[in-house]
Amino acid sequence: MKFIECENVKYSYPAEGEINKSEEWLKFAVDGVDFDALRGEFIAVLGHNGSGKSTFARLLNRIFKPSEGNIFVEGLDASDDKNIWDIRKKVGMVFQNPDNQIVATVVEEDVAFGVENIGIESDEIVERVEKALKAVDMLEDAKKAPHLLSGGQKQRVAVAGILAMKPDCIIFDEATAMLDPIGRKKIIDIILSLNKKENVTVILITHFMEEALLADRVFVMEKGKVALKGTPKEVFMNAGEIKRLGLEMPVGADIGNRIRKLGFNVRGDIIYDDELVDYILKTGLKNIEYIKLDNKRNFKDKIIEVKNVSYVYGEKSVFEKTALKNVSFDIYKGEIAALIGHTGSGKSTLVQTLNGLIKPSEGLILYDGKNIWGNDFDIKNIRKQVGIVFQYPENQFFEETIFKDALFGPLNMGFSEKDAKEKVIEAFAMVGIDEALFEKSPFELSGGQKRRAAIAGVIAMSPNVLILDEPTAGLDPLGKNEILKNIRDMRDRLNMTVVMVSHSMEEVCGIADSIIVMSDGEILICGDCDEVFSKNAFLEKAGIYPPNVNVIFKKLIDKGVSVPLNIYNVDEAVEFFKERLCSS
Amino acid sequence: MFFLKVTIGQYYPVDSVIHRIDPRMKILLLILFVVGLFFVENLFGYIVSALVLGFTIKFSKVPFIFILRGLKGFLFIVSFTVIINMFFVDSGYVIFEYSFFKLTLDGVWFSFQMICRLGFLTAASSVLTFTTSPIQLTHAIERILKPFVRIGVPAHDIAMMMTIAIRFIPTLTEEVEKIKKAQMARGADFEGKGIKKRAKAFIPILVPLFVSAFRRADELAMAMEARCYRGDIGRTSMRKLRFKVIDYLSLCVGIAFLCSILYLNYSERT
Repeated sequence: MKFIECENVKYSYPAEGEINKSEEWLKFAVDGVDFDALRGEFIAVLGHNGSGKSTFARLLNRIFKPSEGNIFVEGLDASDDKNIWDIRKKVGMVFQNPDNQIVATVVEEDVAFGVENIGIESDEIVERVEKALKAVDMLEDAKKAPHLLSGGQKQRVAVAGILAMKPDCIIFDEATAMLDPIGRKKIIDIILSLNKKENVTVILITHFMEEALLADRVFVMEKGKVALKGTPKEVFMNAGEIKRLGLEMPVGADIGNRIRKLGFNVRGDIIYDDELVDYILKTGLKNIEYIKLDNKRNFKDKIIEVKNVSYVYGEKSVFEKTALKNVSFDIYKGEIAALIGHTGSGKSTLVQTLNGLIKPSEGLILYDGKNIWGNDFDIKNIRKQVGIVFQYPENQFFEETIFKDALFGPLNMGFSEKDAKEKVIEAFAMVGIDEALFEKSPFELSGGQKRRAAIAGVIAMSPNVLILDEPTAGLDPLGKNEILKNIRDMRDRLNMTVVMVSHSMEEVCGIADSIIVMSDGEILICGDCDEVFSKNAFLEKAGIYPPNVNVIFKKLIDKGVSVPLNIYNVDEAVEFFKERLCSS
Repeated sequence: MFFLKVTIGQYYPVDSVIHRIDPRMKILLLILFVVGLFFVENLFGYIVSALVLGFTIKFSKVPFIFILRGLKGFLFIVSFTVIINMFFVDSGYVIFEYSFFKLTLDGVWFSFQMICRLGFLTAASSVLTFTTSPIQLTHAIERILKPFVRIGVPAHDIAMMMTIAIRFIPTLTEEVEKIKKAQMARGADFEGKGIKKRAKAFIPILVPLFVSAFRRADELAMAMEARCYRGDIGRTSMRKLRFKVIDYLSLCVGIAFLCSILYLNYSERT
């Protein structure tokens, strides 16, 4: 018998009052899905934001009741209300936001919460809690308060809370989306070990293609329907279809596809990195020296100088913590600078010192050569020059329409009503927000649109320097790429200097002129992509992983092939292979 | 990431005899102490109370200065009542007189009593909150209220609401800080003059905060349901509160205190 079986499942959200009775609302969020999972299987569910995958997941553990069709969980009918608790016991769920699923104020009490709900005796609860915390490597923090943990640690506590209930199946609903690379890797390792060693059925909803490759089967959803399904191979062989669905190809598959198009005899089913490496080894490479196209731009004028800046939180209290230690670097006019580091490395604190939101405990910040905390400098003026877009900026909307909200900044900065409106219209055009959306409420927009509208609110203040704190966090691949394109446009069309905070080398390498790597409040390395990567050992320690393309080249080197290591994206890789692959 | 560490309540996390007493017992002992305090009629009674309180604080390993700081808030109320009592009680031996001000021995005695009672009461309750974590207090309140479930007191719901409130105080505090900074970066001014202007300045903070709080509530409710939460139906608890030797011992101390106060009152009268 199959563990989960779904037949033509449909679900529509109950309409509340008049407002929501728009056509959009009455449509089925899940619209005729056939799905099945065997016990112990690892299934990945992909799809862009709003494709219905989260709604579908909530049907599987009976948070929602199917409007039409059948769902059976180990033979239990999900349409029958008396099975609710048995199904939820069998199918656990870890949600996206780690903060919003922790109930108790002590880690172990939270892990016990679910087990207490299903009526286990207290001695066994203690045992189960300990075992679950051990499985996620959080036993040491059992007595801590959750709000003192990092996002990744919180998410591991959430996983432990489900594990302790001993479910047969766990659904991870974009559970890695809000974590940094270290946090993500730990969760993925836990998932794999549960699946392989404990035979737990895993349903992983994700935007990361590398994660989908680990699965036994992949389902891709679109508009509430299953658009593609099969093994990762069967799914990712449809490159055109994958792109149409707003997803990305795994890097190995992408490179393989593109060199095949150039006329090389590459198998069409190359999906995994190792397969591409094997192919290249078999085919062989010609020994032609690689000289990287030097398209470095030269920047002359410094716009922001950071000199020996230190910052201590909660000075002279029990919770004193040094967030920045003697940090110095320059930002040049017209460049895109990236600030990279793991959660808690001090990068968010650092950017807040750049526009005077935080006053450094020691050191100087110069804007255009002038000390921003000097007597002759109006600190409010710096906020006009240096705009900052916070993490998840869409959480700061407060007006009824996105247009009104975007007016807030420019009006505060002293623009006249007419000028402010012009600025906002310009900014919206810049980030690709259509005029039809101007009068919409923020709640009516998609995740990517909301993010771009919020960024436009800061661009409309026409700052000279724009700082973006993790601008792509939590977006699907389509949303991510749009933001990255916007960033390039801001520099090229609006002549802005951009400082971008990120924890992914993947996205930084393709776009940044200079990279500043931070770890534990200090600058580890500073320079362009090549300079930073020449110190690879440092990066791993700082919890920063190289881009996927780079990983493939490293694998080739490990196999004894001499290839350069300064290739970071698919375009460069294809260019490299084009001239050197022996035609077979 | 913010390193903003918010202390909830004023729990002082060390291991001491007082910390180890069952929270239910501590609440009971506090009640005993307060009752005793209001029976005190003479100076000896206050000395005994002070001794009991002093030793409790000593055994709790909470620095004395912390307790004193806790009293600061009541200073105004206490000094206000003291002044009123001092000058408006006009019975007894007159110590000092100037126009209509009259300071009498009874007035001083009344004021002294007032200081002792309010001060001891505040100090004793802060010993409770210093030595008992909010979560333990919540557990204790749930247990204490349990007998009243039959007459419709939602003991479990009250405890769950308290737990969630305590859990989300630091999260929401961080959130306020973040939203405030984000709006400041957009030129918001929170130091404007005039009440109306200032109130208006807070809309850009309050609206996102409420939106976020509702979203969090929604998601939390769903996560709780996914973990089979259905109120206290069939729910067990990891930590069983059980009275131990130390609890019975402390109860004996409490009863001894009450008896000695009553005895002192009795011996004074005879």
